[in-house]
Amino acid sequence: MTTTETPSTPTKSRLPAAWLLWSLATIVLWGTWGLVSKVASDGVDAYVNQLLYTVGLAPLMAFVGWTVWKRSPKESPTARKRGVFWAFLTGILGGLGNLAFFEALVKGGKASIVAPVTALFPMVTVLLAMIFLKERLGRVQWIGLALAFVAIYLLSM
Amino acid sequence: MQLWLGFAVLALVFWGITGVTQKLSTNAISSERSFLWFCWAMVALSAVVLLVARPHAGLATIVVVSSIAGGALNGLGAWTSFRALESGGKASIVISLISLYPLLTVLLAVIFLGERLTWLQTAGACLAIAAAILLSLEGPPKEA
Repeated sequence: MTTTETPSTPTKSRLPAAWLLWSLATIVLWGTWGLVSKVASDGVDAYVNQLLYTVGLAPLMAFVGWTVWKRSPKESPTARKRGVFWAFLTGILGGLGNLAFFEALVKGGKASIVAPVTALFPMVTVLLAMIFLKERLGRVQWIGLALAFVAIYLLSM
Repeated sequence: MQLWLGFAVLALVFWGITGVTQKLSTNAISSERSFLWFCWAMVALSAVVLLVARPHAGLATIVVVSSIAGGALNGLGAWTSFRALESGGKASIVISLISLYPLLTVLLAVIFLGERLTWLQTAGACLAIAAAILLSLEGPPKEA
């Protein structure tokens, strides 16, 4: 929820901002995903894990499908075609990433190490964005990139 | 390089590419429609996976429940992250904050799975989280 109150507004909500709550929920959901993936990887291979993962995704897919159908934003057919293509590719690549993630856990990687290593994926994103989307890296991102390499080295020890 | 690390880096590369493709998608369509087609692609991939692997009978309940819960947790997490961005959170702050999620995984793995990290690995985990936050901050504007 965006707050558009002026400084003179006499009462201010004591509730945390909605974006903060959604962000914290994301941390809890993704943080727990790392744990349950390791538990699952002790009993199934990466392929079966991906199959069951998709089963878990189904209820949310139905819900999101319903909201898309209800709200159905107006997009030009060209934009929709382009957007759907990239979204589909994102799903395929994301699924392949999942398989590699599950395989890392099956091959004995600890959840407490595999999760921080794989969470470094923005390093690839910023490099690709720099090359293909002509985005520029700030000093902070270069430092982040350097730290990421050091982190992977330390975590592999 | 240990085999598990190779796969972890492979996951990092695939997910890293999705950072770009997802952006290209949401530049053209809503995040909800994009997420829906992301899920359809997961279904398509799973159909292919089904050709090479079949879940056998006798899987432990905890394993099946954990695996299914994994899909639900990861999907819901993606959805809540979209909601955070749509609720007025600045992208640089929301994404940096969300980057803290491995911290929780480390904590839960230590508590519930009894995993132990060496001092160097602990330093590496802290650096990884710091790096993910720094990488998530918005860079300077594009060159004209």
